[in-house]
Amino acid sequence: MATTAVPAHAAHINEHAFDEQSGIWGWLTTVDHKRIGVLYLFTALAFFIIGGLEAEIIRLQLQGPNGHIVSAELYNQLFTMHGTTMIFLAVMPLSAAFFNFLIPLQIGARDVAFPRLNAFSYWVYVFGGIFITLPILFNVAPNGGWFGYAPLTTKLFAPGLNIDFWVIGLQILGVSSLAAAFNFITTIINLRAPGMSLMRMPMFTWMSFIVQFMLILAFPVITIALVFLLLDRFFGTQFYETAAGADPLLWQHLFWIFGHPEVYILILPAFGLVSEVLPTFSRKPLFGYPVMVYSGMLIGVLGFGVWAHHMFAVGLGPIGDSVFSLVTMLIAIPTGVKIFNWIATMVQGQLRFTTSMMFGIGLIALFTIGGISGVMHSSPPADLQQTDTYFIVAHIHYVLFGGSIMGIFAGIYLYFPKITGRLMDEKLGKIHFWINFVGMNLTFFPMHFSGMLGMPRRIYTYDSGQGWDTFNLMSSIGAYILAVATLIFAYNFLKSRKRGEIAGSNPWGAGTLEWTIPSPPPEYNFAVLPTVTSRYPLWEGDERDAESARINSQEGKTAEDLHIVMPYNTIKPAIVAGGLVIMFSGLIFAKALIFLGAALMVTSLYSWLLSPLEPEHH
Amino acid sequence: MKGNSRLRQILTPGLIIMLALAFTAGAQTYPNSTFQPHSELGRSIDFLWNRLFLLATIVFVLVEGALIYVIFRYRHTGKETEKPPQTHGHAVLEVIWTLIPALILLFIAVPTVRIIFQTQAKVAAGALEIDVIGHQWWWEFRYPEYNITTANEIYIPVGRTVNFKLNSNDVNHSFWTPELGGKRDLIPNHTNYIWFTPDSTMKSSVWNGFCTEYCGTSHGKMRFRVFTVQPAEFASWVAGQQRPATFGATAPAVPAPASAPTVAPPPSNGAQLASLPVGYTFPHNQPEFAYAKPNTPIPADLNFTKGLTGSAARGMQVYSSAACIGCHAINGNPSSVGVVGPNLTHFGSRSTIAAGNFPNTPAYLALWIKNARKMKPGVIMPTLGLNEYDPQLKKPVEKAMGGLDDQQIADIVAYLSSLK
Repeated sequence: MATTAVPAHAAHINEHAFDEQSGIWGWLTTVDHKRIGVLYLFTALAFFIIGGLEAEIIRLQLQGPNGHIVSAELYNQLFTMHGTTMIFLAVMPLSAAFFNFLIPLQIGARDVAFPRLNAFSYWVYVFGGIFITLPILFNVAPNGGWFGYAPLTTKLFAPGLNIDFWVIGLQILGVSSLAAAFNFITTIINLRAPGMSLMRMPMFTWMSFIVQFMLILAFPVITIALVFLLLDRFFGTQFYETAAGADPLLWQHLFWIFGHPEVYILILPAFGLVSEVLPTFSRKPLFGYPVMVYSGMLIGVLGFGVWAHHMFAVGLGPIGDSVFSLVTMLIAIPTGVKIFNWIATMVQGQLRFTTSMMFGIGLIALFTIGGISGVMHSSPPADLQQTDTYFIVAHIHYVLFGGSIMGIFAGIYLYFPKITGRLMDEKLGKIHFWINFVGMNLTFFPMHFSGMLGMPRRIYTYDSGQGWDTFNLMSSIGAYILAVATLIFAYNFLKSRKRGEIAGSNPWGAGTLEWTIPSPPPEYNFAVLPTVTSRYPLWEGDERDAESARINSQEGKTAEDLHIVMPYNTIKPAIVAGGLVIMFSGLIFAKALIFLGAALMVTSLYSWLLSPLEPEHH
Repeated sequence: MKGNSRLRQILTPGLIIMLALAFTAGAQTYPNSTFQPHSELGRSIDFLWNRLFLLATIVFVLVEGALIYVIFRYRHTGKETEKPPQTHGHAVLEVIWTLIPALILLFIAVPTVRIIFQTQAKVAAGALEIDVIGHQWWWEFRYPEYNITTANEIYIPVGRTVNFKLNSNDVNHSFWTPELGGKRDLIPNHTNYIWFTPDSTMKSSVWNGFCTEYCGTSHGKMRFRVFTVQPAEFASWVAGQQRPATFGATAPAVPAPASAPTVAPPPSNGAQLASLPVGYTFPHNQPEFAYAKPNTPIPADLNFTKGLTGSAARGMQVYSSAACIGCHAINGNPSSVGVVGPNLTHFGSRSTIAAGNFPNTPAYLALWIKNARKMKPGVIMPTLGLNEYDPQLKKPVEKAMGGLDDQQIADIVAYLSSLK
């Protein structure tokens, strides 16, 4: 392991960092952003595995023509939940795990701006996730697709509980995302260490910053769309009732005004992670930092102006088609710039192919394919042969698996030592990478063919003799290979957490602030708030950076030793979250629960707001 | 520009050969390919696709090539003595690789906008209008010009522009025949159009069509067929469809022995087919059209008594007093005027049943009538077989609920099959 030389002074690990918070109660009541990040990480990985299992059943069903492993009803629930789970319960929260763990460390802060609100976001996410996931065990899971097009999701065409769970579940999850977004925006604006100007922030924090703005602009739109649907379903309004004259395009517009920014919400954090990985393992600063920031902003802004490219088949008319087509093509430019700048970052570097680096390069290679096919359906006439076929399924998986998931794996391998104090097994990691890489391409590349050869998506079975059998068999084999890769990752993750090599504060020789402090970091993060004079304090900083790093790398001191005031642990955010979810679920189970949940939420919120965050300063 | 065209000269034939090998191995292998357009709409799209694919390939090769080069060129050797040069960026380079993608996109954007306006222009006068109405999970087709209503199968003449007027009766659907052109959504309260002209040089053929907008339980089973036929054949088919159901009036009890289709060879050109007997149907049973013949398996627990012979006359009686008439219409049968389900007037002339999911043979039809819900999940068509378990009602069908025994079903099958 020549590439990961451990500094001698870091030969022991601070196993006691979280002593006073240990045990289940400690985890339930924590307001420490790092521990909340870890909670997000474990929970999201669990949902990633659940979403993956749903995908495996889908691929079993489609392995050959006229498959009948599951019924049409269950299949429709499975593909709906696969999409919903992966987007809302796996990829977004995996990004949130990094927001939580990393943003305060990267900007030199001791916690997020609102630690208890942070805990609240997490608990809302967990409870909402359970709420929307459990119904599949009872064959009443949401079955309207992750996009939930009305009028198929209205009471007339979906009288069961399935869509109720979806509407309410997404509404709950939206609360979590919005609360977290406001929290991170405040944190980044207000809690940066001295000298940490905006244009010195690490690229992951920058991309996260942009994503938080996208969240607070996009989620209100889906919230409104969902409230309309909820009112329709439970209180008989007629926003989407076609019999009363509603135009179904209302839902589609509202959904995609949210849905397309959502795509960038899913990918930008991964872009941020890769922008940390590539410089670290090239031993070079990120190429074209300002352009990377501006291109991220441009993607964020343009991302709100392209929603109707999901709707080229609905008959927008030639002007609408042209405008949305051109803006969609525009967005390829800043995305392309990012790709070129990443490659330029590696040029003249000294590339070390750690697992993290391999996943980072994997993102560039695979996202490029997804980006190219994206341009292919930015052309509306061409898209009329592509939309709602497996070609699009291939595209979104090259973007979300080849992009987001590869980036997140790169981030996990990079930051695992910071989170746990131990390195993940590099040998297993590389096996994971290669099996994952082969499985990913074998699963999704043939879908380009099955799509262009006429296979519609979201069909629970297909007939023989249509020219799709071979491609589907390949995709299914690829999916089984992906399952093996994920098992290897899970084993490595769990094993290394307990028995991995001790990492030390900066095992990779990285340059940013989070690598100046012990691994895992003490609860207060920084013994002294660092003074920042450059983008890579450990690489290019002056003596002030070095002095901060020297003090902050010292281990073993408690917050009391240093007279640092940290927030109290509290269960109240979890109870408020529980009350919120009980209140919502009352719509389905029993009206009394609405009042019970509301009472619980309001009283515990009241108590939360009146109790002090932290001991008085002295 | 010169270099670009040189590159094109080298790449285009290579790509075309690759595509040809990969995708045009004949309609038999890939019967729903988007790479074999048979209409001007399909060809416009194909033109864009070829350009997109060419540029995509160039970008792909350059980017991935650069990435691979960099990976091998700058690997850490362990021999480096000092830090690599700490470059922070290069303004000129970054401007260049902002402008190059913009330039490439221009080559896509211009033809895109041109083709958008060209393909969405108002349809030319004299087009054949076909109203397409989506239902969960079947297709209603109407020819207002000829006053014909049919289901799940359409005939269109080659060389004449067809303007599809798209609407939905319930949820969103999407109308797609990959080999004939792009798709367009069927949306309730929202009329859409898509038009194209099947190539006039094409011989009579059949194409698979699909619903491509998720529309509920049996979305995967919502299929249709498009028969592109010679003008004379189309005229003959129209004339046949315009007649009321012939059973009981003029038609013999057995199907017409010398019906035109089995005699007429698939013509290469419609010119010599000036007059065909009324009631042309496409000879769909030829091996070259095997892809249009459904292979959907029958549920294992669905059986029908062997050796029953149905009587069409009795079948008409049973049909006309059973639940059938509540949903189905048959012109010529005054008691059958339902509008919920497919119009069955010329049911016997269709090649498939259940929205393209089973061949239209007595055996499949009998099972379908007996328990449609087992054969196609979620359908509105109720289970009719006596003592059959209804998967939606979750109980067996009783006599009082209108349950039919196998003999009665066989009679209905005989009746419907005779409606050529």
